[in-house]
Amino acid sequence: MTAEKIIEFDKVVAGYSPSLTILNELSLDARKAEITLLIGPNGAGKSTVLKTLFGMLVPRLGEVRFEGKRVNGKSQRELLADGIAFVPQGRNLFGSLSVRHNLELGGITLPRGELSGRIEEVLARFPRIRERIDNQASTMSGGEQKQLEVGRALLLHPRVLLIDEPSIGLSPKLVQEVMTLLRQLADGGTTVLMVEQNVRTALKYANRALVLEMGRLALDRPASELLNDPDLNRLFLGGHVQKNVA
Amino acid sequence: MADLLQLILSGTATGAIYALCALGFTLLWQASGTINFAQGEFVMIPAFVMLFFINTAGLPLWVAFLLTCLVAMLLIATLGLSIGVKQLVKAGVTAQAMPFESPFPDGLLALGAMKVSYADVGTLLLAGLIVVGLQLFLNRTVTGRAMQAVAQNTDAAKVLGINVQRMVLYTFLINAVLAVVAALLVTPTYLAKFDMGESIGLKAFYAAIIGGFNQTRGALLGGVLVGVLENLMGAYVSPAYKEGVALMLFLIVIIFRPEGLLGKTEERKV
Repeated sequence: MTAEKIIEFDKVVAGYSPSLTILNELSLDARKAEITLLIGPNGAGKSTVLKTLFGMLVPRLGEVRFEGKRVNGKSQRELLADGIAFVPQGRNLFGSLSVRHNLELGGITLPRGELSGRIEEVLARFPRIRERIDNQASTMSGGEQKQLEVGRALLLHPRVLLIDEPSIGLSPKLVQEVMTLLRQLADGGTTVLMVEQNVRTALKYANRALVLEMGRLALDRPASELLNDPDLNRLFLGGHVQKNVA
Repeated sequence: MADLLQLILSGTATGAIYALCALGFTLLWQASGTINFAQGEFVMIPAFVMLFFINTAGLPLWVAFLLTCLVAMLLIATLGLSIGVKQLVKAGVTAQAMPFESPFPDGLLALGAMKVSYADVGTLLLAGLIVVGLQLFLNRTVTGRAMQAVAQNTDAAKVLGINVQRMVLYTFLINAVLAVVAALLVTPTYLAKFDMGESIGLKAFYAAIIGGFNQTRGALLGGVLVGVLENLMGAYVSPAYKEGVALMLFLIVIIFRPEGLLGKTEERKV
């Protein structure tokens, strides 16, 4: 049985300036409680999909829908309230603040009374963060920082987690840990939309893979099928793919 | 020895005023990525507004100070000021230097062999109080930490739902109050004059760079350093070089430690 579509892009055109179009009438969807992996060559529009969904770019044309409702142009605060959280690429912590204060800022949109309980939940899930709770965030290792970023996003109990290149700068062991965590979240009902260059590893944990090319959907396949595709390397090194949208 | 300590203390008091103004530079830079070259005018305007409340409306100094804080917050936070304001004051108010009542009593305080003016002690205490209060606000409140978050990584702050525009507005409001306090402290000595902002604005800018533009504690160090060295230069070398101290220090720092004494090297993705 196909899971319910929770995120939909319908012929979305978006870019960073009027003359720089990245998403080119892109249509795709992500399904509830699944990990949907976005892959493709550099410049294909993978990160732009996440930014457009999270209101950091406003589509010039087309419609972005969350649970069937149009969310084009909604602010980040509104989208967080709707249940969408975003962990962008790179380092996103506030280095001079403590780990606890970074977590607190992740829950800035929550009512004050709920925050300490939510922080406790995150600390229970990430014991390493609890050990470092009073340290400056900048003193944490790359893996700990990524855990903190994901934990901070989970404070709001998101129904959808957008995550961009979670494996960057992490050792293979830590990558496995992050992927396992994302799998657990999806199995618990959270929808994960992930951009990841470490394709082989990510495919092992994902349900579906969407290959983007020049801002369009070029391929939509179950992750397990794509993992065994002999042409996998060509797909994300920039070779053209035969149109095969499920 | 007593003379030296006296000079250092009074220089620290002058430096504290530069530091308040320099703090405005660093806060605005961190929160909004802008350098406010009209920072000196931000100090000059409150001096004239306070004079209006004292001389024309007949209000006591402390009431004039509070009202000026409100006016400055409205003017500075909502309109912004430009260098043209200086000429407006010259043409529309007065080109003369106007005397300004000191918030502190006249006279000298004896500290052992050292004699320090009440104005210097008062300036140090008030500026110290403002700085400590500001640090407590920035570090101990959620709003203060959110302002720091915006300063450090605006995009990451947006992603968490922090209201970036509001945090930038708060920074402008704080800067307005810092400017009024600096005006209150500096005007009794320098008198209220349309071009009084030039010197303090420039020195505060140098002080912010000397200390490190991306660090509030750098602004404090830079301000105090400029104030103390100016005093020592004036007393032990020649008063003629006093005004050049900030520039010399600025050049030395730019050559040998461009990020400032307490500044941190920032990496930016281009």
